[in-house]
Amino acid sequence: MIFMAVGPFLICPANSHSGVMLMTRRICSVLIYVVALRSPASPADENILLPADTSVQDAIDHYVQKAIAENGVPAVGQAPDEAVLRRTTLDLSGRIPTQPEREWYEQIPPSERREQLVDRLLNLPDTAFHLANDLDSHLLRNSPYNGEFREYLLWATKQKRSWDQMFRDMLLAKPAEGPLQGATQFLRTRIREVDDLTNDTAILFLGINVSCAKCHDHPLVEDWKQDHFYGMQTFFSRTYQTKKNVVAEKFFDEVKFKTTGGDDKLASFMFLTGDVVTDATPDFSDEARKELDEKIRKAERDDDSEAPVPEFSPRLQLVDIALQDDSDAFFAKNIVNRVWARMLGSGLVNPLDQMHSGNPPSHPELLDWLARDLKQHGYDLHRLIRGVALCTAYARDSEWSSAAEPPGEGYFAIARTRALTARQLALSLQIAATSPGKWPDVAACDEWTKMRESLEKQANGWVREFEQPNENFQVAVDEALFFSNNARVYDDVLRDSGDRLIGHLKTVDDDAQLVTDLWRAVLSRTPDDEERNAAVAWLQRDNEDPVEKIRQLSWTLLAGPEFRFNH
Amino acid sequence: MSDPAEVEHRRRAKRDLSRRGFLTTTAAGTTAMAADMGQINALQSEAVTKQLKQQGTRVILLWLAGGASQFETWDPKPGAKTGGPFQAIPTSANGVHISELLPELAQRMQHTAIIRSLNTKIADHGGGASLMETGRVRDPGLDFPDLGAVVARELGRLNSSVPDYVSLYTSTEGRRKGTSGVLGARYAPMFLSDNMIPLNLAQLESVTTVDHKDRAALRDVFAKKFSKNRNSAAVDSHMSAYQRVRGLMASEQLFNVENEPAEVRARYGPTQFGEQCLIARRLVEAGVPFVKVARAWWDSHGQNFETHQELCADLDHSMSVLLDDLSERGLLENTLVLTLGEFGRTPRINASLGRDHFANAWSCSLSGHGIRGGVAYGKTDPEGNTVVDGEASSADLFATVLQALGIDHEHEYMVGSRPIPMADFGASPISDVLA
Repeated sequence: MIFMAVGPFLICPANSHSGVMLMTRRICSVLIYVVALRSPASPADENILLPADTSVQDAIDHYVQKAIAENGVPAVGQAPDEAVLRRTTLDLSGRIPTQPEREWYEQIPPSERREQLVDRLLNLPDTAFHLANDLDSHLLRNSPYNGEFREYLLWATKQKRSWDQMFRDMLLAKPAEGPLQGATQFLRTRIREVDDLTNDTAILFLGINVSCAKCHDHPLVEDWKQDHFYGMQTFFSRTYQTKKNVVAEKFFDEVKFKTTGGDDKLASFMFLTGDVVTDATPDFSDEARKELDEKIRKAERDDDSEAPVPEFSPRLQLVDIALQDDSDAFFAKNIVNRVWARMLGSGLVNPLDQMHSGNPPSHPELLDWLARDLKQHGYDLHRLIRGVALCTAYARDSEWSSAAEPPGEGYFAIARTRALTARQLALSLQIAATSPGKWPDVAACDEWTKMRESLEKQANGWVREFEQPNENFQVAVDEALFFSNNARVYDDVLRDSGDRLIGHLKTVDDDAQLVTDLWRAVLSRTPDDEERNAAVAWLQRDNEDPVEKIRQLSWTLLAGPEFRFNH
Repeated sequence: MSDPAEVEHRRRAKRDLSRRGFLTTTAAGTTAMAADMGQINALQSEAVTKQLKQQGTRVILLWLAGGASQFETWDPKPGAKTGGPFQAIPTSANGVHISELLPELAQRMQHTAIIRSLNTKIADHGGGASLMETGRVRDPGLDFPDLGAVVARELGRLNSSVPDYVSLYTSTEGRRKGTSGVLGARYAPMFLSDNMIPLNLAQLESVTTVDHKDRAALRDVFAKKFSKNRNSAAVDSHMSAYQRVRGLMASEQLFNVENEPAEVRARYGPTQFGEQCLIARRLVEAGVPFVKVARAWWDSHGQNFETHQELCADLDHSMSVLLDDLSERGLLENTLVLTLGEFGRTPRINASLGRDHFANAWSCSLSGHGIRGGVAYGKTDPEGNTVVDGEASSADLFATVLQALGIDHEHEYMVGSRPIPMADFGASPISDVLA
């Protein structure tokens, strides 16, 4: 159980390690921190959390509603159905809906729409593509477009591989045939820098950024000492790559570091919880050690050498300890928090890499419940995503029209307007630019798979034009210049051939219908009267070149924020 | 101990506590406040720097990406076991010696002050760059703007038709876009990498100017309707990005070095860094308040000396021509040139004849506006392992730069209900290098 205590605390990083200060004369600012005091009982105490057989969406609704009610926060109502269709399709399939999908959705009785929509999308090949794309930008953010890694991710998401298994694939990085081999890229792209291996594994899989504890104990987080940073590093310090590009481990290596007091210290195999693994490497004679070292050197150098395999594998130890960690459940909570943040715009813990006692979740019990549920259901991400997509908070309106202050972000009482990822934008641009009558029927699953593959290829050429949004994303003026002046936008997206949106619109005689078709194709909704009238008037004014007029009108929506954001 | 800064800090903390009494006692309440911090709600005192804006003070940051060696630049130690093979040479400033790899700059020391006593501790590329770009350790709850964004805001003019902050790179390694953080996208850099002229600045021939303007106006109508009821900094940034398009399109010619006389181009030379220095001069001349030119990649873990021979030659020549050109045009008195990287390099020469990351005792230089030239401030020990005199933090450096520009470094940005000084708490400007 977690008791909350709130109060202003003076936190002075400079004083926390008087010998080595980050900055001389630094006097820290006043921070308001909520401190969680953990009682002896585990946070995931079975007796306190909702029963395990509660549905994911009900559990979320319960805890989110509880915080809203307890704090008297005003919550907005549900978003219009068309908005929910767009939002859910973007989040589950990574693209805007097509015309046949909209028609299919509209014929479902309103009370059943959301569930049918979510279940349909989760069974579409699109979802595997989207999840793979998302994991790719998340796990290999700094080395994008890695074909081998993308192939692995798609293979894994298509078979709904569980998250713990994917963690094993990537961290154990065993040589394999076929797509599984691509999993080794997570380590191989970082293998030159043990700090990257350590930090990125901790950040991406455990929600923890320990890099601030490298040169000194973490200035702001009491939990983390240099022992933790170097402890985590020991799990990777023996990792190397052979000449045959196999990720291997050495038999011996020790991590030493200098404490802030100036002493040399030997790091132990220490996990973030403070749990320590004993090095089970047997004693080797000096001669045997030399022989092993020589074999490793050969493996690093020669194409035809096999690397010797030690019995004690630090990375295997790390994987095991991370998956066994029941007290803090960093591994499960991290992915819950990231899926949550991806779908609701901000995490239950923010920033996503700061899951520590000085920065507790907005809904601690919910995070515990979801982490427990995920573990109990074999780390099935689809189950988690489905539950979040069906909860009340997910489908709230994103507009706040009252004069009163809008509800704070941490309540999830209003939907967040979120920038599309680079790939969501690229794919959606391709869909919007296509003639709406060109899409296969919703039942034509095989045809749709081929369509998605071709859309992905088309999107590849556009993804690099857009910035991948981060937590404080702001649209750069470069993007506005791209939409305004780039030839590809004009010659490709706004082309008027029969297979394109403009090609379709120019065949529509009635301007009001044309505007409706345009709004539905680009914004996935029907225009209101004010918009329709403004657009029709614009089309009819100075109408010397009707196709050019249609093109420029379409541009106003494609370059607009309503298309650019998920809302 | 009653350090005046600390007293002031406590006094301020007390005042803030009462101000924050309204905070609710829930986790969600605190999260809500954290969320508000994303939007800087009261950037008061617009008038503070009004006069400065009119004076047209500017900054050129020459960013040595990857971390240049202080031994091979500003703090040579010839003869020491850590000193490497290069000699020190006298400069136009009495008693100041720098590395022989910078002979042209040595002749221009009258414009330049060196700080040899930076101790910034953080020696990984990401952390070091973030520290030296923002003058403070990254605080997870506070996305502080980098120097370029701060200067863009303080010295840029709202009605300006030129960019406020331009960032140029010469290599794909170490590319960092910079961040305007809580100041918002309005002050984010225009980022150039492969091309000298920003992409998509020119209007397509297939779109008429009338259509270009007309559709932009209609786009705004629909965009405003969408953003009206959304309290989102990201949506606002989309709006402001589009609002600047026409103005920026007019500044295209500034990026074209072809517009410079052949003899000027010849002076800067054919290197990309040289050409970008020339563009930087054109930009500051046109009123762009902050230009960053990055030269990569100084990260010489192996073959440090060859690397520095090559890179220092480029730096020495390009920076010297830039100083001369600015000076001849009367721009140097309004322009501060700051030469800096994320850290320096180890005294120890490793087995690959490289120097590794080192942030405990390293150097940077400042030239031009507000700077007392010919000064070498601070001192390291004979082998360059530690600072022995005049230790300066990144915050001190920021305070110095802001002071040189005439900006009060203690001026606070209000982020939510939290006052954040422009230079980190406790920073003191280094008056010895200030004019």
